[in-house]
Amino acid sequence: MTRKVLLAALCVASLAPVGSAFAEAAPGTAPAASEARKVPRLSISPSKLSFDGPGSQTVTIKNTGTATLKVFEIRLLNEGRPDTKQKDGTPTNLPFKWDGSAPMAQDLEPGKTLTAKVKFDPAPSQKQGVGAVQVICNDANLRAMPESTNDATHESSAYGAGIPLRAGEGGMQGWLLVLMVFLPMAGALLIVLIPSKAGKNVFRFVALGTAAVTMGLAVYLFMHFDRTVGVANGNYGLQFVKQFVWIRAFNVEFFMGVDGLSVTMVILTALVSLIAVGASWNIDKQVKGYFVMFLLLETGMMGTFVAMDYFMFYIFWELMLLPMYFLIGIWGGPRKEYATIKFFLYTLAGSVLLLLAIIALYYTSGKPGVLRGVPSLALSDGTPAAHTFNIMKLTYLNNFEAASSILWGIKFSHLIWIGIFIGFAIKVPMFPFHTWLPDAHVEAPTAISVILAGVLLKMGTYGMFRMNFAILPEATHWARTALAVFGVINILYGAFCAMAQTDLKKLVAYSSISHMGYCLLGMAALTEQGMVGSLMQMFNHGTITSMLFILVGVIYDRTHTRGVNEFGGVASVMPRYAALFGFAFMASLGLPGLSGFIAEFLVFVGAFNVYKLLTILAVTGVIFTAAYHLWALQRIHLGKFNPKWEHELKNNDLNFREMAMLVPLAVIVLILGFYPMPALDMMTTGMKDLAAFVESAAPAAKGAAVIAGM
Amino acid sequence: MEKIFQIGLTHYLVVAAILFAAGMFVVATRRNAVAILMGVELILNAASLNFAAFSHFVHGHITGQIVSIFIIVLAAAEAAIALAIVLAIFRHYRTIDAEETSLLKD
Amino acid sequence: MGPLSNVESLKFYAPEMVLSAGILLILIVDLIGDRMYKRKGGVSNRKVHGTLALVTLVVAGAVLWWVNHSTPESEVPRGVAIFGGLLARDAFGDFFKYFFLGVTFVVGLMSMRSRDAIDHTDGDRDAGEYFALTLTTTLGLFMMATATDMLTAFLGLELVSIMGYVLAGFKRRDRKSSEAALKYVIYGGVASGAMLFGLSLLYGLAGTTSLAGIKASAAVAASPTTLITAVTLVLAGFGYKIASVPFHMWCPDVYEGAPTPVTAFLSVGPKAAGFAMLIRFFGGALPETLLAKGALLDSSPWPLILGASAAITMTVGNLSALGQQNIKRMFAYSSIAHAGYLLLGLVALSGGGSGSRSILFYLVTYLFMNLGAFLVVIALAESGLGENVDDYKGLGTRNPFIAVVLCIFLFSLTGLPPFAGFAGKFLVFSALLEHPTSMNVFLAILGVVNSAISLYYYARLAKVMFFDKAAEGAGPIKVYGVHAATLTVLAVPTIFLGVYWAPLLDAADQAIRAGAPAVIGAARAVAGL
Repeated sequence: MTRKVLLAALCVASLAPVGSAFAEAAPGTAPAASEARKVPRLSISPSKLSFDGPGSQTVTIKNTGTATLKVFEIRLLNEGRPDTKQKDGTPTNLPFKWDGSAPMAQDLEPGKTLTAKVKFDPAPSQKQGVGAVQVICNDANLRAMPESTNDATHESSAYGAGIPLRAGEGGMQGWLLVLMVFLPMAGALLIVLIPSKAGKNVFRFVALGTAAVTMGLAVYLFMHFDRTVGVANGNYGLQFVKQFVWIRAFNVEFFMGVDGLSVTMVILTALVSLIAVGASWNIDKQVKGYFVMFLLLETGMMGTFVAMDYFMFYIFWELMLLPMYFLIGIWGGPRKEYATIKFFLYTLAGSVLLLLAIIALYYTSGKPGVLRGVPSLALSDGTPAAHTFNIMKLTYLNNFEAASSILWGIKFSHLIWIGIFIGFAIKVPMFPFHTWLPDAHVEAPTAISVILAGVLLKMGTYGMFRMNFAILPEATHWARTALAVFGVINILYGAFCAMAQTDLKKLVAYSSISHMGYCLLGMAALTEQGMVGSLMQMFNHGTITSMLFILVGVIYDRTHTRGVNEFGGVASVMPRYAALFGFAFMASLGLPGLSGFIAEFLVFVGAFNVYKLLTILAVTGVIFTAAYHLWALQRIHLGKFNPKWEHELKNNDLNFREMAMLVPLAVIVLILGFYPMPALDMMTTGMKDLAAFVESAAPAAKGAAVIAGM
Repeated sequence: MEKIFQIGLTHYLVVAAILFAAGMFVVATRRNAVAILMGVELILNAASLNFAAFSHFVHGHITGQIVSIFIIVLAAAEAAIALAIVLAIFRHYRTIDAEETSLLKD
Repeated sequence: MGPLSNVESLKFYAPEMVLSAGILLILIVDLIGDRMYKRKGGVSNRKVHGTLALVTLVVAGAVLWWVNHSTPESEVPRGVAIFGGLLARDAFGDFFKYFFLGVTFVVGLMSMRSRDAIDHTDGDRDAGEYFALTLTTTLGLFMMATATDMLTAFLGLELVSIMGYVLAGFKRRDRKSSEAALKYVIYGGVASGAMLFGLSLLYGLAGTTSLAGIKASAAVAASPTTLITAVTLVLAGFGYKIASVPFHMWCPDVYEGAPTPVTAFLSVGPKAAGFAMLIRFFGGALPETLLAKGALLDSSPWPLILGASAAITMTVGNLSALGQQNIKRMFAYSSIAHAGYLLLGLVALSGGGSGSRSILFYLVTYLFMNLGAFLVVIALAESGLGENVDDYKGLGTRNPFIAVVLCIFLFSLTGLPPFAGFAGKFLVFSALLEHPTSMNVFLAILGVVNSAISLYYYARLAKVMFFDKAAEGAGPIKVYGVHAATLTVLAVPTIFLGVYWAPLLDAADQAIRAGAPAVIGAARAVAGL
C-alpha cells in the first residue's frame, strides 16, 4: 500500500522537473535592470472582466514604466462578429460596447492612468459574450505584434496586449460542454482507481452512471439550445462557449461551443454511448480495462464534436484511435488483430494528412489577402496573433484563395482541401477508402459496432461540413461534383455488396456504407435542403444502425452465428424480436413514416435540381436497398422455423436489458418519422447559414451552369 | 618541369589525399582486424598532414600544427582501445578475421 | 563581448570540473576503498559507485544552476565564448547540459539494478569502471554541446565515441558485446577520420579553427566546390554520430550487442549532442550567403542534401524496423527513424529559429519516450524475460503496470496525441510548413506517412502484450521498485507534455534566442515567434 502511495507521490513530483529544470536553463527572461534605459510599461487592470448580466465595468490602463507610453489604439474586440448583415440590412448586434465615448489614442506619462468603461448590452437572444479590450502601444516588453493586415497600420514599434471580456460564461452556459466532454474521462479515472477485486458489476454500474449523467446533460442541452440563434446573432452562432488560451506560442486556444451543425451530433453521441454501455453488459473478461477504454472513447467523441479550435479538434480526433484499437483487438471476434490494425493504420494515415493540412491552414491564415468579416486574429484574451487555429475565424477569414500559390500544378488551397478530405473520407467511409469497415464491424463486439456505426462514421461527414465546406468553400465548389459522384457510388456499391452478404453483421456494415452515400450526395448539392437532409440522415443513421447492430448482437449472443441462411421462421418463436427487427429494417430502407424517409427525401429534393442524373441513380439505389433488407428479413424471420435453434431461441425472447436498449431508439425513430421538427429545428438555422455561406463563394456563373447540367 | 620538384603545398595535399584514399581502401578490403585499424590510422594521419601543411604554407601560424599534435594523441588513445577490443574478440573467436564475427545480423 | 581568457572562464567551467572530480573520486574509491568497505560488511560496489556517480551529477547540476544565477547579466552576457573561443557558454549549451545530466542520471539509476551492465558475479567488480566511463561520456557530451571550435568539437566527439566503444563491449564474457564493440570502433574510426579530413580542408580555406572564423572567412564563401567536399566529409562524421543513413550501419548491431543500459544511453545522449553540434555548425559556421534563408533549392544545395538525407533516413529506419524480431534491434531502427524526423527540423533551420526550437523540444520528448522504452526492456530482463518480441506475449496479464507504461512509450514514439511524441512531431512539421516550398511539403508528407508506417511495428508490440495469451506456465512478473518508480517518473511527462507545452517550449525558445552572437548565426535573425 505504501508503495502505491509513493508511486502516486512520484507521479506528482515528476511533473516538477518538466517545468522547473528546463525553465532554469534560461533564467533572465526578465530584462536587465532598467535603470540603464528608460522603458514604458503597460499595465491593464483588472486582468479580466466578467459580466454576469448586463452591466458596466471599468478598465484602467496605467504606465508603470519610466518613459512615455504611446497608446496608439484601444480596441474593443467582439468575438464572433463576422460582418454579415442580416437579410433586412440591419447590422449585427455587438454585445460589448463602450459605455460613453470610446477612448482616444494618447500618450501616457510615467505613472499616469487612463480609464474606459465597457458595458455588456446583449440582444435578447445573446446569452454569452466573448470579447477583449486590446491595447496597442509601444511597450516592447509585450509580445511583438506580428504582421497582420487585420490590424491597422501603426509605427513599426507597435505591440499589443489585452484582457478578456467574458459574459455568461459561468454556470451551465459555460461549463455544460466541458462537463459533457470530461465527465467520461473522470469516470474512466475512477474505474482505474477502483481495484480489480471489486467485481465486474461495480465497473459496469460506474460506466452506466457516467453515461447516464452525460445523457442527462445532453437532455439539458436539448431543452436549452436556442433554435433561433444563427451567425447573425453574433458569437459565430455558437452557444455554450468556453474559451481560453492554451498554448500561447502557437495561438492555440481551448475553445468549445455548439451550433446547429454539432448539437444533434452531441446528443447522438451521448445517446448511443448510453445504449452501448447497455450492450456491453455481457463483456466478461477484463471488464475494468474495457470500460476505461470505452469511457476514454466517449470523451474523444464528445470532444471532437464540440471542439472549435483546430488543434484541439485534432487532439480529440486522435484520442479516439487508441481506445478503439484496444477495444476491437482485445474483445473482438476471431480475426480481431487483423481488423483492428487495419482500422488503426487506415485511420491514422488519413489523420496524419489532416495534421499537415491543419498546419498549412494555420500558416496560410496569416497571409494578407481578401479578408471578410473577421475583425482580428487576436486570441480570446486580446493578445494579437499572426496566425490562428480558431475554426470560426478560419471560416470567416476567406483569404485562402487570394493567398494561394500553385504547387505541383494545383492551387495550394485545393491541396489542403484534399488533405483534409482524405482524412474524413476514410472515416465516412467513402469508396474506395471503405475496406476497413466490414472487417472492423464484423470483428468488433456488439457495443463497439454500435458506437462505430452510430457515431464514428458521422465524424467523417461532420468534419467535411466543418472543415472542408466552411473553411475552404471555393475549393468545395471545385470538388463538389466528384463528391456527389462518389456519394452515388457509395450508395450503389454498398447496396450491391450488401445483397451478396450472408453474414448479417457484414450486411449491416455495407448498408452503413450505402446510407452514408446519401449524406455525401446531400452535402455535395450545396443547397439548404440537401445539407439539412444530410445532417438529418447522419442523426437517423446513428439511431437506426445502432438498433440494427443490437439486433444482430441479440441473435449472435444466443446462437453464436450470424449467417442469414442459417435461420428461418425466427418470428414464430421470438415475436418481440421479430417486431423490432422488422421495424428497424423498415426504418433502414427508408419507409415513409419512419425517420429514415425524411432524411432521404430532403436529400433527394435538395440534390435533384443540381444533379439530376445522379439523383435518379440514387433513387434507384433505394430499390436495391429495399431488396437486400427485405430479403434478409424474409430469410431470417419468415418461413418455416429451423429446428436446429430450438434450444437456443425458444422461450428466449428479448430480455429486459435488450428491450431497454431498443425501445427508446425505436420510439425516437418513430416520432421523428412523423414529427421531425424537434430535430430539424435544431439544425435548420445553422445549416441555412452554412449553405448561404458556401453558396456565396461560388465561382463564376459559367462554371456553375456546367455543373447544373449534370 | 621544375614546378614539380619545388615542394609546395600541393605536394603535401596530394600525399595526404593518397594516404586518405589508401586508408579507406584498406578499411574496406582487409579482413584482418588489426589491418583495418592500420587503415584508420592512415586516415587520421592524412588529416593530420593536411593540418600541418595548411598551417605552414598558407597561414603562417601554428594552429594547424597544434591540432596535429592533438590528433596524434587521439589516434593513440583510439588505437589502444581498439586493440583492446580486438584482444577481446580474439579471446572469444580465436581469430581476428572481421568477417568471422557475424552473430549480429539482420 | 569578446572571448573570456582562461582564468576568467574557469568559473563557467565549474560543472565540467565537478564531473572530472567525480570521475577521479570514483576511480580512487575503486582502487583503494574496495577493501575498506567490504570488510565493514555488505555494501556492494555498485551501490557505492552508483551513488557517487549520481551525487556527482546532482552536484554538477546544482553548480551549473548556481553559476548561472550568481553572475548577473550585466557583468557577463548570457552568450559568450570562453577559453579564448574554444567553448561557448550560452543558454543553448546550458539546455543541453541539463539534458545530458538528466539522461545520465536516469541511465545511472537503471544501471545500478541491471545485471546486464554490471556483472553481479565477482562482487560487482566492474561497477567503478562502469560509472567512471559513463561520467566521462557525459563530460564528452558537455564538450560536444558547447564546442565552437573544430578542435574542441572533434575532441568532444572522440571522447564520447571512445567511451562508447568501451561501454558497448563492457560485457567481456559475451560474444555479442565484443562484436558490437568491434563494429563500433571500426565504423567510428573511419567516420571520425573522414570528418577530420573534412575539417582540415575547412581549416585550409579559412585559416582558423573556430567556427565563427569559418563563417566570416571570405575564402570559404568564394570556393563552393571545396566547401561541398569538406562539408560532405564533415557530415559523414555527424551522420555517424546521429545514425543517419548511409552512416547508420553500426547502429542495429551495436544497440543489439551492447548492454541494454548502455544502449539506452547511446540512443539518446550522443544523438542529442550530435544534433547540438549540427545546429551550431549549420547555424554558426556555414556562411549566410550559402545557407539559404527560406530554403530555396537553387541558391544552395544544403537544404536539398539535408532534406534527402532526412527522407532516406526516416524511410530506411521505419521500413527496416518492420521486420525485426529482436526488440533492441527494432528500437535501434526506430531511433534511426527518429534521427530522420529530427533532420527534418534541421532542413527547416534556415527559415528561422523554429527549426532549431523544434529539434530541442523533440529531443526532450525523445529522452522520456526512448529511455522509458529501454528501461522497460531492462526491468523485464532483470526478471529473466528475453529480448524477442514473442517473449513479451501476454504481458498485459502478467504485469499490467509495465505493459501499460510500455504502451504509453510506444504510442508516444509513434506520434499519437495526447502524448509527448505528438508535440515533438507537430513542432517539426510546423517548422517545415512555415515555408511551404515544394521540397518542404514533400518532406512533410513523407514524414507523416512514415509516422503511420511506424505505427505498425510499435503496435505489434502492444498487440503481442495485450492480444496474445501468455505462454504456458508463465506467471506474473515482478520488477524492482526502483525501476517501477523511474518508469513512473518517465511516463508522467510523456503523457502530459503532449498537452502542456508551455515551460518546455519557452525553455527551447530561450535557448535558441539567447545564443552567443558568434555561435548561432541564422537562428537569431528571427525576432521571436
